[in-house]
Amino acid sequence: MGNKLVTFTEEQLNDYQDCTFFTRKEILRVHKKFRELQPDLVPRTMTKDDAVHVRVARDIMERLPELRENPFKSRICEVFSSDGKGNLSFEDFLDMLSILNEHAPRDIKVYYAFKIYDFDNDQFLGPSDLQQTLRLLTQSQLLPEEMTQVCEKVVDECDVDADGRLSYMEFEHVITRAPDFLSTFHIRI
Amino acid sequence: MSGGERKVKRHPRGQGWEEAGGEFYQESYPGGEAELEAMHQNPSNIATLLPSKQNRTATYSKMYDAKTTMRRRTANRTANRAQYQTTARRPSASAATAAATDVASMLPDLSENLSNEERTWEEIMQIKALPVSMAQKKEHKAKLQSQTKLRLQGLEQLKWQRRKMWQRLRRSWSEAYAKMELWRHSMKEVEGDFGTGVVAYFLFIKWLMFLNLGVCTLMVLFIVLPAVFLKPAQQFPECNLSNNFTGQGSVECCSAQYANTTSEPAENIFMQFIQGRGIVEHTQAFYGVYPNVELTLNSAAWLSYDMPLAYISLSLVFMLVSLAAIVKSAAKGFKERLVEGEGQFYQYCNIIFSGWDFCIKNEKSACIKHKAIFNEIKASIESERIEEERLTRSKEERFKLFSVRVLVNLAVFVLLIAALYLIYVVFDFSAQTQTDYIIANNTLLRLLFEFLPSLCVVGLNLVIPIILGMLVRLERYSPVLIVRITLMRTVLLRLSSLGVVLLSFYRQFNCDDPCRPEGADAKCKKPLCWETYVGQQFFKLMLVDFLSHIAVTFIVNFPRGQLAKYSHNSVVAYLGEQQFDLPKHVLDVVYIQTLCWLGSFFAPVLPLMASIIFFFMFYIKKFACLVNSKPSTIPYRASRSNSLFMAVLLLSFVVMIIPLGYTIAERTPSKSCGPFRGLPSVWSVIVRTFVSSPAWIKHVVFFFTTAGFAVPAFITLILCLYYFYAVSAANKHMVLVLKNQLVLEGRDKQFLLHRLSQIIKQQQEHHKAMRAAAQSAHMNSTDISSST
Repeated sequence: MGNKLVTFTEEQLNDYQDCTFFTRKEILRVHKKFRELQPDLVPRTMTKDDAVHVRVARDIMERLPELRENPFKSRICEVFSSDGKGNLSFEDFLDMLSILNEHAPRDIKVYYAFKIYDFDNDQFLGPSDLQQTLRLLTQSQLLPEEMTQVCEKVVDECDVDADGRLSYMEFEHVITRAPDFLSTFHIRI
Repeated sequence: MSGGERKVKRHPRGQGWEEAGGEFYQESYPGGEAELEAMHQNPSNIATLLPSKQNRTATYSKMYDAKTTMRRRTANRTANRAQYQTTARRPSASAATAAATDVASMLPDLSENLSNEERTWEEIMQIKALPVSMAQKKEHKAKLQSQTKLRLQGLEQLKWQRRKMWQRLRRSWSEAYAKMELWRHSMKEVEGDFGTGVVAYFLFIKWLMFLNLGVCTLMVLFIVLPAVFLKPAQQFPECNLSNNFTGQGSVECCSAQYANTTSEPAENIFMQFIQGRGIVEHTQAFYGVYPNVELTLNSAAWLSYDMPLAYISLSLVFMLVSLAAIVKSAAKGFKERLVEGEGQFYQYCNIIFSGWDFCIKNEKSACIKHKAIFNEIKASIESERIEEERLTRSKEERFKLFSVRVLVNLAVFVLLIAALYLIYVVFDFSAQTQTDYIIANNTLLRLLFEFLPSLCVVGLNLVIPIILGMLVRLERYSPVLIVRITLMRTVLLRLSSLGVVLLSFYRQFNCDDPCRPEGADAKCKKPLCWETYVGQQFFKLMLVDFLSHIAVTFIVNFPRGQLAKYSHNSVVAYLGEQQFDLPKHVLDVVYIQTLCWLGSFFAPVLPLMASIIFFFMFYIKKFACLVNSKPSTIPYRASRSNSLFMAVLLLSFVVMIIPLGYTIAERTPSKSCGPFRGLPSVWSVIVRTFVSSPAWIKHVVFFFTTAGFAVPAFITLILCLYYFYAVSAANKHMVLVLKNQLVLEGRDKQFLLHRLSQIIKQQQEHHKAMRAAAQSAHMNSTDISSST
């Protein structure tokens, strides 16, 4: 066998396989990516403790090639981080990539998409959330009145119970009708 | 207050609320006295106490309770896997989203409700879809594993073990497949630059390549290997020119005549190879050499292999497998489109929530994507204005536009007819000059004339779409419609050019077999083995097409792209800039596949050739995509792309099967070559096999054709069709009804909340007034007591 460096124990790999949509090889690939972000901080062999406590800071995480150009990168880091501030541990990172994997079912992707778009964390997508989303998507190139017009149109389309904002049920209903959601809400590892 | 700013029609149903009295049922809401106090402090916070606000706890804990009761009921019998999965499919993410709040409290009470091993195992499998953090998932798994479970007995145990094993097998299979996943890195590159719509195209090429490889393996196994290794069971009678049966014009002599034809010695092996003539013609690559009798291994009479039957069955299997693969792929997309097509299309929500492609890694592509989304939003806002404008177009303008469109369609039609006529003439010409001796002596000239038809077809396929693209701009359609119309016209061009090729073959071969007792007819240009000839033509077509792609990508478009990138002249940049035109590239690939389908009956080497071509096509197209083009400003949606590919492929398949079916059913195979020599038609092999099959098979088949079976079966089918149609219509209506109900419920909710907050305000004021009165009374009494 020799001096093969083992990144995870069998038990850890089994756990991760059961808790994510990844295969073993993919989990090791994710670890490699994680380590590339900050090689001096992330150890080559991850113990259980390391996987939970070693955190990569948010600004370094946002430099990940897959996230770098994403307008929602800071919000994604916030949603998946266990400390709420955007610093991801390995398990958070694995979780994030597992949800964004193509094998993840629609329901769980919709759940997390809702959380990502919900900037003020009030469990509703209100006009301010929508405006923030628009701003990030178009890099603030739209005029303010156009932005309000579009937000109103969105709420018009989706709001069923007429409260002026989107609840999770309405969002889910809309996303079921969106043909491209599954293919765009996806990061390949 | 949430509903306050919007102008909502107040529903007059509220009038009956007071009269209802105490008869309305009370739901237990997760609020207690504490929350009532909070409500009194600030009435506008009522909305925060609603069950739907508690995310999913109250609503779905009911569903979860239903699940646990179901579990209790079914704990004693074998789990109905499908039932569990269908109920658990949605609520599993959502019933277990209740676990988002408190995992421990949502777990079943272990003392009362022991679940068995299988259920626990299923739940562990479902942990992945829980929307909780990783730490909680691991906790949950640990709890599930350590809880006491009932062991399954006997048959259930076996069934569950089988399921586990199947699951493990699937997992290890997917791991193994992922290890040898082809082109993963390339696709990631393309995805990072162009998004998922274009990656779908490369996945399509990969899928086609594997389809062809699979068919090729089948062919090698069942046709080529037996033809090489097995020997005929009985000896042929020899060609005896004096005999009537085996003399001139018989199958035996014709076969001998064909086998003796060799190509001119001047041709070297390379020439022979690229034309499929000479030595190559007499290999298993082409139709000609296959024997038409039964084969055995070492003359063991009991093990006989019917070559003609194998050949025709394999071609049929090839077609069926292709059709099944296409339909399966298309059905997935079709199901989704049908669900989304129902009801409204949420235009703005679609742009905003699924507009950004999370795969994009390139800064420039991200920039372009931002601009594309911006343009789309702008266009949507403008579209209302444009619609208005379109409706108010003056009569004059409309008439002018209409006449322009008619003219353009006419021009396109004329262009197509001219192109097709040209192809037909060239094919005829090339066939004639084959016997011209002047040409025959000069190898280069002869090569040119050999390949002239293929060059003509390929050249037209390159030039005409450009002209079509220019013409369609005159018609002033919307961008989506432009793409579709150009695609339709190009498909028409390609399929009809193939049709003309086949037609010219038909005209050429519409005479008797040249190997006749009377000798060959001078006017008949039919070669000894016309099937191999057809196979060779398709071989050449595919080769020339492939080479033209290489030439165009590397010799024409690469300098164009580089010029556009590095020159500062705007005219040059305009000419040189290319966008990755997805429909055109899809057509390229589908065309090659159509050629393969058409020709594989005549030349079994074509599927292998197609796989190799697709392998290299991947890299050629990748080069065209990454180096020559820049991301297009039209966002290509992956979902729409996939259905586009499959639709075009299916169309080509259907159009292709007609001439092939006709050839198999009606045309006489040539007497000198192939596994069907001497038979009246290829299909007669099947008929012959059927006739010689055991009696019970014949009885069964005849039964299916009797009136006693056919008529009731037909009527039952019609009834089933009508039933499903009625059910789907009823479902559509139901959706509308439920949606309206939902809207009304929402309005009711708003109304009730508003009323409730008003009442609480009233109460507050009442209390305040009471307190003020009490205080003033108290003050008065103290005044009085102090004054006395």
